[in-house]
Amino acid sequence: MSRKPYHREVSKTTWFLKQSRYQHYMLHEISSVFVAIYVGVLIVGLFRLAQGPEAWSGWLAAVTSPIGVIFHILVFIFSIIHTTSWFKAVPQAMRIQRGEEIVPGNLIIGAHYGVWAVVSVVVLLVAGVA
Amino acid sequence: MARSAKAVPWFLFAAGGTVIAFILPVMIFITGIAPAIGLFGDALSYETMHAFVGNWLIKLILLGIIVLAAWHAAHRLRVCAHDFGIRADGAVSIVVYGLAAIASAATVVALLMI
Repeated sequence: MSRKPYHREVSKTTWFLKQSRYQHYMLHEISSVFVAIYVGVLIVGLFRLAQGPEAWSGWLAAVTSPIGVIFHILVFIFSIIHTTSWFKAVPQAMRIQRGEEIVPGNLIIGAHYGVWAVVSVVVLLVAGVA
Repeated sequence: MARSAKAVPWFLFAAGGTVIAFILPVMIFITGIAPAIGLFGDALSYETMHAFVGNWLIKLILLGIIVLAAWHAAHRLRVCAHDFGIRADGAVSIVVYGLAAIASAATVVALLMI
């Protein structure tokens, strides 16, 4: 009665490589790996700060070592991938209505970029580095 | 249905994604890239940082950022594991959410020590 069903061969580990949409999706997902490691580095830094000046300068030395710098540049790039793809998805998650009209997505995304710039400058000022 | 039980993790995920989208790039720049290029050297000295993080408001903000980032990353890592063909969702959940819980607790301890 029933024919043999057709099964498309799909690799469980490399399925996302074939389409750019899936590649972008995975790039966004993989950013979490870097965020998780960065959170760990930060927590270690807080402990080092609590332990005293020597421990803190040891942490700073690790952060500024070649491996530390390469890692942070990678985390920085992935954090920006997270930010841009998160903002891109905002209009889909949040529909704002003004009167009869629905606020266009690009306006919402643009506002997010504006807030992002302001937040970044404020954090730089608060941290005393700008 | 089990839907209601998902409200808390979903909120943490969405809040975390939003918070880290706005704050993480500049934070990574300050803690990871600025010291390496020797920008604003004094701002990261022990005395300055200890006084800065010693402020209770800064402690609360840092705790919020780190906890939300950890839970957001945990949820995403769980999805990642699935996407890479790991189907043991129960075990993966225990590991990633367990790590996020440990990270959250460790942050509280570290901040209380400063």
